[in-house]
Amino acid sequence: MEGIILFLSTLIVSVIQVSIPFLVKRTVVFGVTVPMEHTNHAVIKRSKKLYSIITGVLVLGVLITFLVWSMRTTPTDVQMALMGLMLPLLVIVTSLVLYFYFHIKISKLKKEQRWFEGKKQVKISDLNIRAKDEMLPWYVVSLPILLTIGLMVFTVANYSQFPDQIPVHWGADGKPDAYTDKSALSVLSLPLILLVLQGMFLGIIELTKRSGFKIRPTNTQASKKRQMNLRKYTSWLLLLVSLLLTMLFSFLQVMTLYGNMFSDMMVMLVPLIFMFLTLAGAVVFAIKVGKVDSDLDEVVVTDQDDKVEEYDEDRYWIGGMIYFNKQDPSVLVEKRFGIGMTVNFARPMAYMVLVVPILLILLLSFL
Amino acid sequence: MYIQIEPDSDIPIYSQVSTQVMEGIIRGELEAGEVLPSVRGLASDLGVNMHTINKSYHDLEAKGVITIVPKSGAVISVDPSKGVPKEQTDLLSEKLRPTVVEAMVSGMDDDHIHALVDSIMRNVREMK
Repeated sequence: MEGIILFLSTLIVSVIQVSIPFLVKRTVVFGVTVPMEHTNHAVIKRSKKLYSIITGVLVLGVLITFLVWSMRTTPTDVQMALMGLMLPLLVIVTSLVLYFYFHIKISKLKKEQRWFEGKKQVKISDLNIRAKDEMLPWYVVSLPILLTIGLMVFTVANYSQFPDQIPVHWGADGKPDAYTDKSALSVLSLPLILLVLQGMFLGIIELTKRSGFKIRPTNTQASKKRQMNLRKYTSWLLLLVSLLLTMLFSFLQVMTLYGNMFSDMMVMLVPLIFMFLTLAGAVVFAIKVGKVDSDLDEVVVTDQDDKVEEYDEDRYWIGGMIYFNKQDPSVLVEKRFGIGMTVNFARPMAYMVLVVPILLILLLSFL
Repeated sequence: MYIQIEPDSDIPIYSQVSTQVMEGIIRGELEAGEVLPSVRGLASDLGVNMHTINKSYHDLEAKGVITIVPKSGAVISVDPSKGVPKEQTDLLSEKLRPTVVEAMVSGMDDDHIHALVDSIMRNVREMK
């Protein structure tokens, strides 16, 4: 069972990883800003293909080795856990190494060819775009929090009926395999962790709403559409995950309270369905956002004269991946290599977003 | 309506933003009563410092182009079809003088200067 979960999740992570160069913004190639007219340069095209082929072949090799290994031997839990850590890590590390190789290569090419010389670099903003933002309003995103409060009330009301040992960890079969003594805090720890996660999602959505609409002067229509989609589907995905988490945690809480109320099959399936739906949501998100203003977007419209170019923001991106811009008040910005948002490390708020939820959850689980 | 800035230009960004807003009004893309984005919003969109946009909005307010209304934001308050008060004409004359003087001393004749002003006005209206 663990094997199948591991296999599927590594597969999905890999598929996204392999297709990333074709899903990111057209004018940012391996974290390097490239003028619109040069995005079809032979070296760029070849680099993207090479990246995908090498990662693809490697991932395939890893997955096949894993399949053969898990079928021929009967791996222990420890071996499986180790694999679960190593497999995705291997995929991520190799793609990162490849990323940096091509990042340096394209940076050199850009310097040699002096692509930005003699160009007027501009930034643009659409004054009316905020009115068209399609992100979910805060009160819709907060709905799952009401469910959590309901779960807390339910927990407190049934406190006396909870068993003396409260589960804190569940195995791959969905059954608890570690316990702690019953106390007001341990009984409420699941809903509290849920609340922290939901608060984090709400915070991310609010920060996304406040972040800038970054549009490109060389293709205003497509870049606007991409920004709108990114914002809209970020809020949708977070709401979906928030709802799914609420259902999963409520299920676990009810299972703790009533013990053998559910069949073994259901106990095993519910977390699996949760994981599957979350992964599916992430894939749909990546496609919805990635298909506009990327290589997948077939419509190429350049609506500007060739003397104007988008502002080269490479100076704000450390290694093409880490955004550090003291001027920009945005806390969250669109990732340059990957689908979704990343933080502006020049903003103190960014560290809050990264650290506070983790600290709170650690605190709750050690108390 | 788009605001376009050139961060590496010699002209300060705040002044580029002000000019763009005023040009939008001239072209009728921004009308009296319309609200400009919040300082934070526009600064995030352009990836520039909030002080820059704040300075630009105060500059526009001083020019009488917008009014900063608490809670609503920066509202366009100028109507190009209205008349121009005497003090404003005097102020503009004072500001234009150095530029006109520079043109005159460089040897441009009256027609040439008039033609230059005309072409600038045309460009603003046609968004060039």
